[in-house]
Amino acid sequence: MKKSWPGIALALLIFTGCAKDPLNNLSSDEARLYITNHNDSASFSSYTSFRVADSVAVIHNNQLQEKARTDFDAQLIEAVAARMQQNGYTPVQTGTTPDIGITISRVYNDYTGVISYPDYWGGYGGYWDPFYWGYPGYGYYFPGIIGTYTVTDGAISIDMFDIKNAKANDKLDFLWNGLIRGSGTFTSANINKNVQALFDQSTYLKRN
Amino acid sequence: MRSYKSYILLIAVMFIAAGSFAQQGEFRLTASYAAAIPVGSFKDNIVSKTSFRGVDVNLLYGVTPKLSVGLTTGYQDFYEKYPRQVYKLSDGSDISAVISNSVQQIPFLATARYDFISSGLLRPYVLAGVGGQLVLNRQFLGEYTNDNTNRFAFAARPEAGIYIPFGKEAHTGINLGAYYNYIPYNKGSIDNMNSIGIKLGIGFPMRD
Repeated sequence: MKKSWPGIALALLIFTGCAKDPLNNLSSDEARLYITNHNDSASFSSYTSFRVADSVAVIHNNQLQEKARTDFDAQLIEAVAARMQQNGYTPVQTGTTPDIGITISRVYNDYTGVISYPDYWGGYGGYWDPFYWGYPGYGYYFPGIIGTYTVTDGAISIDMFDIKNAKANDKLDFLWNGLIRGSGTFTSANINKNVQALFDQSTYLKRN
Repeated sequence: MRSYKSYILLIAVMFIAAGSFAQQGEFRLTASYAAAIPVGSFKDNIVSKTSFRGVDVNLLYGVTPKLSVGLTTGYQDFYEKYPRQVYKLSDGSDISAVISNSVQQIPFLATARYDFISSGLLRPYVLAGVGGQLVLNRQFLGEYTNDNTNRFAFAARPEAGIYIPFGKEAHTGINLGAYYNYIPYNKGSIDNMNSIGIKLGIGFPMRD
């Protein structure tokens, strides 16, 4: 009986010693970030109209790939326009100059890593014994594999520019930026929730 | 998990060391389940929740019937997920995120224990430990790592408790204790990682 105490003690350590994994304990909604930034000197009530560009820029590794209008893009443009109207701004059609110009981008960045399998699986129990090939008692020789993998991290960026004062400023001045990043960013069902979150945390962004 | 493995290894080394010196005195191991309650700025700014994931191990050599000296190690995992909230950043932007804080503490303490009485069914004791704690501190904004700091910090621990042998002649028994984990830790808004620990375990001699 005495001899079993160390075993019991060790079992105790194994059962209670594991940490709670913070990432496994996050839902997809909890994993996302909403980041907004705005021009401090801008008075958002001084603008009356807006237009959202009718397609979405796809930017991959800091290069413009294309301008696209997938179903997802169209829904996203519609969601931003709807929320701007709700905040008191009037949409204008192509051909009319708006006070606020809005562009939406899908931004992707690749991160590359290396994975290495230093040895062959021959050491695993249950793997094909060399007997399978008709050479019982032989061993496998294998130099190991090194492979690379790529993870793509994506974000949606919504940018607003000051068109109204472009001439006076001599540039298209930045007004507002909203960034959606993390799990579920590109899920259609989340579009409205994501756009609402960006506007909800930007209480200054309204006509009145 | 890596640190957890090395800690198991340390326990194994302790078992071997204890075995080889068993004739010269008596090594006793006390292995306990431990819970810990954060206090001070650790509680206010990192994790306010009580940790129920921990172990505590003392390996002590009897110098006299009442005084024993040795080592304390263990493991405690603190974790808290804060609901989504908008945080203001220093550059003026606003970020909406679910913040998760994860802290693991692994003590390595030189320890002395004094038993007030060395016979009877209720044996109160006091214990003091001085050394360091390996503190792993991670913070996540949503699914993104915001901070990952590993540091070895000074640590001290006063402890009081009671040992209840399984019988008058038994060398094995239940050990119940409470302690204060003093860990100065200067970083950002915190100046310590102090906690109050409670442990329940088994004490037994390291011999056949």
